[in-house]
Amino acid sequence: MLGYMQEIWRCRYFWTSLVRMDLRTRYRRSILGLGWSLLNPIMMTAVLCTVFCPLTGLSWTEYAPYILGGMACWQLFSSAVLQGCTAYYQNESYIRQQPMPLAIYPLRVVLGATIHFLIALGVVVVFVYTVPSALPTPQPLRLLLSLLPAVALFFVFAWSVAIIAATVNVFFQDTQHLSEVFLQMLFYLTPIIWKTDMLQNRQEAISYLVMLNPISRFLDLVRVPILENRAAPLEAYLTVICCVCVTATTAALLMRRYQKRIIFHL
Amino acid sequence: MAGIRLDDVSLCFRVRKIRRTTFKDFLVSRMYSKTVNPVTEVRALQHLNLEVKDGERVGVLGHNGAGKSTLLKLIAGIYPPTSGTLHVQGRISSLFDIALGFEWDASGLENICYRGYLQGETPRSIRAKAAQIAEFTELGEFLTMPVRYYSAGMMIRLAFAIATAVNPEILLIDEVLSVGDLAFQQKARQRMLEMMQQARLMVMVSHDMDSLARMCNRGLWLDHGQIRMSGHMDEVIQAYERSVGQPAHDHRQAG
Repeated sequence: MLGYMQEIWRCRYFWTSLVRMDLRTRYRRSILGLGWSLLNPIMMTAVLCTVFCPLTGLSWTEYAPYILGGMACWQLFSSAVLQGCTAYYQNESYIRQQPMPLAIYPLRVVLGATIHFLIALGVVVVFVYTVPSALPTPQPLRLLLSLLPAVALFFVFAWSVAIIAATVNVFFQDTQHLSEVFLQMLFYLTPIIWKTDMLQNRQEAISYLVMLNPISRFLDLVRVPILENRAAPLEAYLTVICCVCVTATTAALLMRRYQKRIIFHL
Repeated sequence: MAGIRLDDVSLCFRVRKIRRTTFKDFLVSRMYSKTVNPVTEVRALQHLNLEVKDGERVGVLGHNGAGKSTLLKLIAGIYPPTSGTLHVQGRISSLFDIALGFEWDASGLENICYRGYLQGETPRSIRAKAAQIAEFTELGEFLTMPVRYYSAGMMIRLAFAIATAVNPEILLIDEVLSVGDLAFQQKARQRMLEMMQQARLMVMVSHDMDSLARMCNRGLWLDHGQIRMSGHMDEVIQAYERSVGQPAHDHRQAG
């Protein structure tokens, strides 16, 4: 395991340059560059604010950073799954040429998505600091200290999820399609556009499902420090750490078993 | 010291009748069952024992599907042996499928870096070589264009220049001598000879008996994944040509 990580580190120039290129082409192709790729979550936030603010009586200054923060996390997770599925196929020609640790190809996907996530998160933080609202202004040092481990955990989670998705997709071609359906359901079961307290006194079954959803705990880790100026609850941390452990172990086991054999199935 | 040693190495591809299944098929059509989707074993390499030492330049020949390219990919570490052990000592550079593995949206110059990193270069070492590679391709200002717009020949020029810019200890070559236009072919041949002098060990697959005779000092004849003959290059070529019913002639003089 340690040796494998060292090998990944040894070819760092290769994957970092590919990530840099991915980001550059993504931003170069559009007139607005960076802003363009943030357009989707920002427009979504605008639409949801227009629809839900009058309905729920929330002010948009509170609701907008809430959605944007949630969308940022969700996009990282969903691109880890969906782009992770194609990671090996897209890099097939490299895999066929040079024996490299396979985990670098999902890493390529996830690093790009994580940088994207950080930019979106930056927008939320700037929003909270500049737009006057009823939200408490977070204390910068505390915010940084609570966001750093959250981002680190999220990154490891996304990477291992991408490895799992990539490996499964080699054996079952329709993984991406199935994941889309699954993600669609999960999106509504996760408090991204709605708040957990809106659920109270509603159907028990739904709240139970939502409680079980680990992704919502990931969101807490990011959103609570930004929006409520306090550390995320310990319970959220524990759930997330457990979750990361499970996916990372699965990914490591898959890599160990299939690192050499994937080439026969591509 | 560079060296390759194969001890009783076999490589077996397990090919399923329907290669890539979906989860739906898996459940509905019972693709997991051996009767619906039978597994065929293809024995690409069988019980190979081979030792290649410093200074040897091995030419591998044999008919199509004999396992020549598979052997190279096995030595390069791309295919793991199904059984037996493989020892490779030395830094490998491989020249196969060289036209593959480009980033289409990146320029030629950027691709020089990516390929370089793939072959284990560092930013510092590639900076020193990039100008030299660019010059060798003779592509001039095309190098700032995305590779997407390159013709096949231009792509091969670029790929060849990058792949041969490293100083390997072990050189693995698979049928790349016929690259590009005539002028570039001569240049490529010259570069290959230079590279071979630097490399301590070479394994080359080709159907061109003239280049095999000129470049290699040891021959290996593969047949159905087995070594049919191993020895001096000229003798192996003669034996091979006799077996396919071609009159033997001296390739040393012909080339």
